[in-house]
Amino acid sequence: MKLTSRSAVLLMLPATLLYALFVIYPTVQAVQLSLTDAHGLRGGSFIGLANYRALLHDPQVTAALKNTLIYTVVVVVVQNALGLAVAAWLFSAPKVRSIARTGMLLPAMMALVAVSYLWQFIYSPIGGPLNTVLGGLGLHSLEQSWLGNPSTALMAIAGSYMWMYLGYTATIFLSNYLAIPKSVLEAASLDGATGWRRFRYIDWRLLAPSLTVNVTLSTIGSLRVFDLPFIMTNGGPGNSTQTLSFVIYSDGFQNFQFAYATAVAVLLLVITVIASILVTTVLRRREVAA
Amino acid sequence: MTTLIDETRAEQQDNRPNRLAGKWGAGTNRRRTVRSRLSSLGLLLVTLLLVAPILLMVKVSLQSDADATAHPLGLPTHLAWSNYTSAVSAMNYGRSVFNTVVITGCSAVLVLIAGSLCAWPLARLTRAWTKVVYQFFVAGLTIPVFVMITPLYILMRNLHLLNTFTSVILSEAAVSLPFAVLFFTSFLRSVPAELEEAAAIDGAGPLRTYWHVVLPLLRPASATLIITLTLAIWNDLIIPLVMLSSDDKQTITLDVYNTIGAHTYSASQLLPAVVLGTAPLLVVFVILQRHIVAGISAGVGKD
Repeated sequence: MKLTSRSAVLLMLPATLLYALFVIYPTVQAVQLSLTDAHGLRGGSFIGLANYRALLHDPQVTAALKNTLIYTVVVVVVQNALGLAVAAWLFSAPKVRSIARTGMLLPAMMALVAVSYLWQFIYSPIGGPLNTVLGGLGLHSLEQSWLGNPSTALMAIAGSYMWMYLGYTATIFLSNYLAIPKSVLEAASLDGATGWRRFRYIDWRLLAPSLTVNVTLSTIGSLRVFDLPFIMTNGGPGNSTQTLSFVIYSDGFQNFQFAYATAVAVLLLVITVIASILVTTVLRRREVAA
Repeated sequence: MTTLIDETRAEQQDNRPNRLAGKWGAGTNRRRTVRSRLSSLGLLLVTLLLVAPILLMVKVSLQSDADATAHPLGLPTHLAWSNYTSAVSAMNYGRSVFNTVVITGCSAVLVLIAGSLCAWPLARLTRAWTKVVYQFFVAGLTIPVFVMITPLYILMRNLHLLNTFTSVILSEAAVSLPFAVLFFTSFLRSVPAELEEAAAIDGAGPLRTYWHVVLPLLRPASATLIITLTLAIWNDLIIPLVMLSSDDKQTITLDVYNTIGAHTYSASQLLPAVVLGTAPLLVVFVILQRHIVAGISAGVGKD
């Protein structure tokens, strides 16, 4: 079947229209809207970069920016390191691999909303399961109000996110492990590369494709974190768990400052684009080198 | 034979729990077996640790508050099924599950059809403009939904679609399209075009060829895609939260949120709602996990 250009255009039309109308058009609109003073649904007048100037001095936004970046770096590093370790372990234990992977993937099947409520319960300060376990282990000094303490709240949220997606990350690494030709690993072991040395010089390089996928997914996923702080802490205590997505929602749909919220959205877009270009360039280059 | 190789490989791989044993030379098979058993056991323990919060959730959801306070980690003294009956009546459960099935199903079918129609020429026709369209969809992978949520809301309002399933279906479908298009394109590129060419010789036009050749060819990829989409759309909060306002239209995720919402609920009221919200997908997962694992691994080893 030789497709003509005309039939190709017709075949591509539904998807392109749908995508252009409900993704690209609103994204372009976002940039436009952010340059106005619109409140609620009434379109405002053009005010240039005033919203952007204002958000640089807005403590809520600067806190959200800082929290989002810290959260992303912590999640990307820790989740991928743990995921890789778990995948190597899964790979080395073929007998229990399947059941272990199934168990570890269960949290990723839950809605973020469900995970939020579950961990809000686990972290609860009085009689919460985490504090009970710590108390049982004799670590009473560590017991605290995990979500009520500004210095632990953000990391507690990051912990529940990583709990949810650890199995997911490990599954991606594992599928890469399973795709490595057996002969390569056998040759490596004949050459005396074992344990850490083999991991460093062989596995680490061969796992480049899954590392790209995982780092990209976890970066994009954690830059847009919303459900967890929205439900678990409502951005608090203070501004300690404000994130960019949370500010976009609360300023836009709770305070009806549509234009201002959209300026924050454009900031999120710029950060996401820069981060994904950075991640892709660095990691793809590594893939080619390997 | 395979198990033998796997076992040997397991040895070389696993340096964590038994570094000492390595020092003594992994010469004897017995030592190897012990090591590999310990490693498997350790892995099962880690798995149990990760599943524990879910088990705990189910357990506490079946306890009365007094019982949960007295035995926070122990087994319930009696099963308080009444927690569930009150959660179901507080939640509008049946209606919400039905709504979610309709919304998820329609979005998934829309994405499946539009995505595969678009991917076919993208995979088979290499022109400058098809590459541009391809890049156009790649760009969509990185746009967070939050960037366009406000203008999308305004657009839906102007189209008089707010508080309708249509608004949620169109939004979810459009957001999911980039992944679907790229996924189908890379799948089709890995299959030869011979069948489609044979159909052309038999005189079939593009639409007939699509329906009788391309769509059946995509079946394994479609299964994986549908499951991945179901997971994402079923669990999504932000789009239904913004678009839907009446109780009889809400999705199950939104229902859980609205039911618990800002109230200070006790564990016996909160957790049954969460379990009820989570249960349908966990059951699907256990049945279809092969496809879910395939969907998760889809990005690896493709261009």
